Amino acid sequence: MVELSIGQEVEMEYGGKAQVLGVIGSGGQGVVYLVRYNGMKWALKWYDIDKMKNPKAFRKNIQNNISDGPPSNKFLWPKYLTKENPDGTFGYLMELKPESFDSFVDILNTYKLSVDPLTGRSTKTPVRFTSLFAMVTAVINIVNAFRQLHRAGKSYQDLNDGGFFINMDTGAVLVCDCDNIAPDGSNFGIGGKPGYMAPEVVRGVAKPNVQTDKYSLAVVLFKLLFRGDPMEGEKVVKDVCLTESSELKHYGQNAVFIYDPDDASNRPVRGIHDNVIKFWRIYPDYVKDAFIRSFTLGISDPNKRIIENEWQKIFIRLRSEIIQCTCGRTNFTSMFKQPDFKSYKCPQCGTIFDTLKFSNRKNRMPLYLGSVFYECEIDPDSEDFQTIAGELVENKLKPGVLGFKNMSDKVWRAKMPDGDFYDIPPGKGFPIWQGLVIDFGEVTASL
Amino acid sequence: MMSNEQKKEPVTGTPAEKAAEEAAKTAQDAAEALQNLAAAVDPAAKTAPAADADDDLFDFDDDDPLSATGVSKKSLVIFFLIDTSRSMVGKKIGELNTVMEELIPEIRRVGEADTDVKIAVLTFGTQVRWMYSEPILIEDFEWSRLRADGVTNMGEAFRELSSRMSRNSFLNSPSLSFAPVIFLMTDGYPSDDYKEALEELKQNSWYKFGLKAALGIGSEANDEMLEEFTGSKDTVVHAYSGGQLAQMIKIIAVTSAQIGSKSMTLSDDVNHELSEEEVRSAKQKLLGQQIQDSMTNLGDADAISLDTGW
Repeated sequence: MVELSIGQEVEMEYGGKAQVLGVIGSGGQGVVYLVRYNGMKWALKWYDIDKMKNPKAFRKNIQNNISDGPPSNKFLWPKYLTKENPDGTFGYLMELKPESFDSFVDILNTYKLSVDPLTGRSTKTPVRFTSLFAMVTAVINIVNAFRQLHRAGKSYQDLNDGGFFINMDTGAVLVCDCDNIAPDGSNFGIGGKPGYMAPEVVRGVAKPNVQTDKYSLAVVLFKLLFRGDPMEGEKVVKDVCLTESSELKHYGQNAVFIYDPDDASNRPVRGIHDNVIKFWRIYPDYVKDAFIRSFTLGISDPNKRIIENEWQKIFIRLRSEIIQCTCGRTNFTSMFKQPDFKSYKCPQCGTIFDTLKFSNRKNRMPLYLGSVFYECEIDPDSEDFQTIAGELVENKLKPGVLGFKNMSDKVWRAKMPDGDFYDIPPGKGFPIWQGLVIDFGEVTASL
Repeated sequence: MMSNEQKKEPVTGTPAEKAAEEAAKTAQDAAEALQNLAAAVDPAAKTAPAADADDDLFDFDDDDPLSATGVSKKSLVIFFLIDTSRSMVGKKIGELNTVMEELIPEIRRVGEADTDVKIAVLTFGTQVRWMYSEPILIEDFEWSRLRADGVTNMGEAFRELSSRMSRNSFLNSPSLSFAPVIFLMTDGYPSDDYKEALEELKQNSWYKFGLKAALGIGSEANDEMLEEFTGSKDTVVHAYSGGQLAQMIKIIAVTSAQIGSKSMTLSDDVNHELSEEEVRSAKQKLLGQQIQDSMTNLGDADAISLDTGW
């Protein structure tokens, strides 16, 4: 391929020149450079067109994506095309990934390497979610990004661990490598990897599409939560050497989920798959059931795969079931004791948590200082899983007295100890007590 | 614990805001309940925390959903087989040492989240010698400069390699391994009888599935012999100058590490159910293709032949 050199200028399609400042990285399709264009720094992906089946169609697809625009701000979307070189080589500009985001690869490794340019020695910095909240929020964000993409009628095609960046403090997500995104049903010569690709793609009998994206999405979610490969267990490890044929077998022709309830031949192996063994125990059944469905029925029948909206509901529920105990233990309610159906008890320090029952869902939300609920949880028409609607706070004037603060922009009604309902305008609060009922409009909640 | 008895004290006629404030003040037990909620510790639990029958369901020491270790990785060993016979003295070994030192940081990131890449270097002159007694993780690998001397005991090197390419020796990762990368560099013809040793090596399964590439240095190197080693013409290249040598070592090492450390790449050209037969040696073919593509783009940066000027 024709590589660019530092200082070289590349002409942009609609005028102006991007000047190469350095190399950011290289991948299967080409090299990503740091460039300056119109006084700003950008990333330039410069293609190795020798590796493309049809560079013209590929370029046209990027052009279409640029004019359609990104499905949301969660995508590092192509912004500007370069002019084509006489030999047909081209590239496109996209925004740079902000410093505060870490790559999915580093997240799975749990560290990132920084190499001292002088000595070539590398040092490791840990990469970890700073809270359970951030981790589940990241999962919701990934699912939501793919929901938005699929609603726009497009598929990502080669979803894998190189495709995301995550802010480990907030759970914000950026989807990168958006140049292969194409209208559902079209393909422009994308390769994929067994392990992330749906079994039917590995076998060669299907092309990447929205349905195969759903399989890849389930793999990404599984890897993020359980930190292991859903198809790599005893059956695969027995092969010792992972050749092309064994990959075709274990990820295509005869893929068996490590926790398939009806097939125990591929269970995780202690000493190798310790993460999965540990985490599978922690998550509640409704999360595990969704993965079981994705990786058993969903292997052979793409229509049985979990749709994004369903994943979104599952993980919004999981987020509402996090308990941050005063003793420092943070976990899902599935890892707390349940003395009765209305409360949870910390197995470590014995603290009891009351729960709030919303009229629109079965599970009860545990209450503790700082517990929150979101717009989408109190308004059936809302899809807003990011805006906090209410938070359990301590009364500033009466230490030790807890109550909910209305952080939404709607007036709620709450039942007070006198038995009457009172209006709770935005910004105001009310104490919690045993008979509390909150009326959000269509949804009510009670202690 | 949250108390169940709840006194209802009427607060009548006050606006909602005031009621909200009043409520806690007047309803003593409500306030108590709130405090309990915040930090209540069940007294029973305090004295006998492990009394409950279902305690063993919970393993509190190790149940933090954030306490993940890195995902279990596959491993890839890259074997460098390097000719250190006397004919390598001077520019060839100097160039080779330099490029290998520079190469290590470049290979460092190719494994990404999937694969631990390890390096093993076997040199052959009069003596056959490993640089380190076992494969070293690329992150910790430091190149130790090689010196050239003696004859070319390549056959012995093949035998040594074959004995180490075993589950009981160098390829002892408890987890899955990718087939190794085996990269041979030589500037001449073997001094010993290599044929029998090569036949033995070819019986080794790791060798069979491994990614093989060879680099002939200077005009003495025998490409036919190298093809015998790799099993295909595409994975044999020839360097005639110092500049070429450096570029080719880099291209082959980085490309083979990239291909070797990852799952096979699927192409969407395929329109039928793939068979095992079809995918067999897919990586070796891909390696050949990519090496050949890179060679066509390779400029001859310095035209001075490796064999001249001594």
